[in-house]
Amino acid sequence: MTVAVRSDLAEAHRLAWEHLAAPGSWWTGAQRIELATTALVAIADDDPLPPWVGISLAGRLPDERVAPDMAHDIIYRIARHAGTMTEDVYRVAAEALGELPYVEVCAIASTVGAVAHFCRNVGQPVPALPEPVGGEPTGERPDELAAAELNWVPVAAPADRWPAVVQAYTAVPGEQHNTWRMAAAQYIPVDEMVHADWMRRRDGLTRAQTELIATRVAQLRECFY
Amino acid sequence: MLSWSSSQTGGQVHLTSVAAGAADNGVDHGDVILRFATACAGRDDDELADARARLVDATDEAFMVDAAAVAANFEMMTRLADSTGARMPADVLEQRAAAIGAMGVGELTSRR
Repeated sequence: MTVAVRSDLAEAHRLAWEHLAAPGSWWTGAQRIELATTALVAIADDDPLPPWVGISLAGRLPDERVAPDMAHDIIYRIARHAGTMTEDVYRVAAEALGELPYVEVCAIASTVGAVAHFCRNVGQPVPALPEPVGGEPTGERPDELAAAELNWVPVAAPADRWPAVVQAYTAVPGEQHNTWRMAAAQYIPVDEMVHADWMRRRDGLTRAQTELIATRVAQLRECFY
Repeated sequence: MLSWSSSQTGGQVHLTSVAAGAADNGVDHGDVILRFATACAGRDDDELADARARLVDATDEAFMVDAAAVAANFEMMTRLADSTGARMPADVLEQRAAAIGAMGVGELTSRR
């Protein structure tokens, strides 16, 4: 059965896949697609590794790799066991990878998570990841970074003016843009979030129905936030 | 957000029912929606297919797609929040103490 997906949502997911294949601020397109592949493996894994076991030590990665083992280990954990992440794990990963490359890895995991789960939710196969686009990482970053009270990761200055989830990826602008473009198509455009009666269309989900789904998924993913 | 949106639009959601996955949660079509959301976050493909079909029967396919997209969004946002150490300010935590208790999430590893 083919399900009709509204055009804005299909386009947001097409652009998300395209975004994964392009060089990021800190990782090449080849590294990003390799890490996205590991995230897909983690999400679909019928025999998942425990959170504390790195996939790089489990013999489940290709021998030839362009991204470092720590990046694979951390993206597997975020993709499959995000609720088990602790500040200590973050500190170790950020020390090995760099704080901003770590943020980019988080965004690859969350992007893959959204598209892969949407496809499963509607009963469609996950589209193949695109071929990576060549070129070096752009190094794009905000003019000024700040330590945040509301996140482990650094954010674009000034910190803590916005909720933690809104500022989380601001240190890597391309990921921030992609994430909130997806959120607008999947959930609610940011500007509409304060409106309790917002609906995407007549006879569509009410805000309470929307939040019922959000609450249940977050609860089952053991996400306190 | 669930309590807020429900009360703002004249409803009263039952958080303990939501937390337990129970049908009587106070939201229109809440039984089929909650079953679908639960199946989306689960691993049983047959249960998901059945929950999807029940939701389409109760609403329509476009509604199911929108519901699937919201579930997908929170697969994205939970990974974002938990990997970046997102936390709520202390005053917000205080305001939400009742909801945190009703949902039974106060002891999660991801509480910061």
